[in-house]
Amino acid sequence: MKDPYETLGVARTATSAEIRKAYRKLAKTLHPDLNPGNAEAEERFKGLSAANEILSDPEKRKRFDAGEIDASGTERPRQPYYKDYAGNNAGANPYENTSGFSDFSGADDIFAEMFRRQGRQSRRMRGHDLNYSLTVDFLDAINGAKKRISLPDGGSLDLTIPAGIEDNKVLRLRGKGAPGGGQGEAGDALVTITVGAHAFFVRKGDDIHLDLPVTIGEAALGARLKVPTPSGAVMVSVPKGSNTGSVLRLKGKGIAHGGIHGDQLVTLRVMLPNKADAALEGFLATWTPEPEYNPRKDMQP
Amino acid sequence: MIINRLEFMHRAQIDQQTLEIWLREEWLLPNEMVTDMEFSEVDLARAIFILDLKERLGVNDDGVGVILHLVDQVHGLRRLLGGLLTQKPAA
Repeated sequence: MKDPYETLGVARTATSAEIRKAYRKLAKTLHPDLNPGNAEAEERFKGLSAANEILSDPEKRKRFDAGEIDASGTERPRQPYYKDYAGNNAGANPYENTSGFSDFSGADDIFAEMFRRQGRQSRRMRGHDLNYSLTVDFLDAINGAKKRISLPDGGSLDLTIPAGIEDNKVLRLRGKGAPGGGQGEAGDALVTITVGAHAFFVRKGDDIHLDLPVTIGEAALGARLKVPTPSGAVMVSVPKGSNTGSVLRLKGKGIAHGGIHGDQLVTLRVMLPNKADAALEGFLATWTPEPEYNPRKDMQP
Repeated sequence: MIINRLEFMHRAQIDQQTLEIWLREEWLLPNEMVTDMEFSEVDLARAIFILDLKERLGVNDDGVGVILHLVDQVHGLRRLLGGLLTQKPAA
């Protein structure tokens, strides 16, 4: 191997600053990634690195000057150079660009065609996520459903609404967003779900709440009534002596998700007849309630 | 070969802050997945090149950006010319 002072082009008395300056000056012209395809530069850079290895380290330099070590064996294992990957396999380098040659792209020749082909590979950028929104019926949100969204470009997105989805939840459809650049993967479609209101069901957590109007007779005497639930009507026994505000719990009739089942809570609401009922009025006029029947007894001042 | 973010920082010997700057400058363009980033051997070799530029050659950040841009164009041109040279002449 050549004398390291000679390789760097410095005197044996050079200061470490001079050595560093000399190394940088040469490395700027010889670095293999700044000379792709130039095998001679790569070989010279190897020698330059080895020389710098000795002379940039005061201890090693002293031992070299004293003749204790020679210049061999100081070469580092070859590092992977960017050019080795950048120059390999068509399309494998996401960074490569031909923007500096776009003035050739108008020409109708072989070079222009190659430029165009090259340009299409572009960079390996992941595509953008695209946002959509979808309003689903209350019952579809409770029971789950399959929906299709029509896209502005004429395409469509099929999505499965999972049972029990909550208002404002975002469904992510992998790879359904904007296409990526080059080898980059497509972005995702993000669909914000809005759950519509229902005429008589209200969701609270995993439970469904329902106000159930009952007649004065059904409340006082008890009854078996047909009660709607999101999964269909069921028969429910209203106990004798129920009242407005009495709550019946229908186990497992609420939101089902991930093995958890909410309940449906039915709140009774006793309704008098809309039209005057002579028989009821006649009965009440002659009816003497038990003395403890005083619904406002807790409100005494 | 796919390299995750932590392994990439370890192999390139750079810290999180450095990586973030390089990503912001778009010196590196990994695949951005939902939960992590995926790097390749090209990205790793490019990171080592950037380190060489900054540490061995003393190039400042503005200079690194300029050099990478030019080097990327050189590779684009080299591939174009390589393709031209290997293309069969039209019959």
